[in-house]
Amino acid sequence: MDESELIKGIQQGDNKAFRLLVETYQRMVVNTCFGIVHNTADAEDLAQDVFLEIFRTAENFRGDSKISTWLYRIATNRSLNFVRNNKRKRFFQSIEETFTGGRNRNSEISENRNDQPDQNITDQQRSDLLHRAIDRLPEKQRTAFTLNKYEELPYQQIAEVMEISLASVESLIHRAKKNLQEQLYECYKKKCV
Amino acid sequence: MQVFNLNSVKPLNNDDMECKTLHKDLIFYLDNEVSNQKRIEIEEHLAKCVDCRSFLSFLKEGMQIIEKEKNPEVSPFFYTRLSARLEEKPEYQVQSQWARLAQPAFFSIILLLGIYGGSRLGSNASFPKVNQPATSSIQMLNDFEAEPIESFLLGEL
Ligand SMILES: [Zn+2]
Repeated sequence: MDESELIKGIQQGDNKAFRLLVETYQRMVVNTCFGIVHNTADAEDLAQDVFLEIFRTAENFRGDSKISTWLYRIATNRSLNFVRNNKRKRFFQSIEETFTGGRNRNSEISENRNDQPDQNITDQQRSDLLHRAIDRLPEKQRTAFTLNKYEELPYQQIAEVMEISLASVESLIHRAKKNLQEQLYECYKKKCV
Repeated sequence: MQVFNLNSVKPLNNDDMECKTLHKDLIFYLDNEVSNQKRIEIEEHLAKCVDCRSFLSFLKEGMQIIEKEKNPEVSPFFYTRLSARLEEKPEYQVQSQWARLAQPAFFSIILLLGIYGGSRLGSNASFPKVNQPATSSIQMLNDFEAEPIESFLLGEL
């Protein structure tokens, strides 16, 4: 089944075609979401939302781009939204904490640790640091960087996913790396890990 | 002028300057994105500078996290869960239809109560400044919407 047959099948509500689409692209979609949200369970939930959206809006797919481009676009948008909402939630939570004096954070950290049981503390700290640094990148830099580093997409395809020029992609990734390097250097100087 | 200054402080500043310039390129050096000329410069500096070498390995280990963590294993029940959610759809719609009716009703009641309460308050108030706290809290909520302020606050966490 080629891409257009696959899409036609999904547009006609064919479950077999949909299953084939999911099985072909689930690794890719989960990994893209994971690059932005840094948590496997959340990434899988988001990937499910991506496929549901595909299933429900398949008739709008114009076929002038690859299925993967379409999936990447929805996956990055949904993941960024998720992070944005989470940020807002944590912001209000932290306000609540300052008023109630409560601290739920310890349980939160140990939950994260359970997620990856075989890693030692140093690696865990390193990955926390890197994730924090990635989270601080402006959204466009974060998107381009994630697609390039986690999915190893060439700049041309990133340009298609983000609907921007090749030169913009180059500049976004260049700035993303510079920003990450600066943040890691700040941490290195202060021995924050 | 500047040339004289540079010459006079050369012994102390030169290494520092070199380190600073070098730090800006290390991430590109790791990704093989520097010119040959630059690569040689960097390697010559690294050979004599412990601090830059140590930062380079810190940076390298940090960035390697991506290679270690990417492509996490997808749950074998991914499709099963997804198809269950697909079938959930009608039920969800019934629920949301109910919510569509209930929500406006709920907010209308709140609104009516607000108007009633407001008119009671208004009739007791002696001057029109009653409005002020309300507007300032709206202003505050608008500020929360502004991304820079929010991320500034979050940056401290
Ligand atoms: Zn140096």
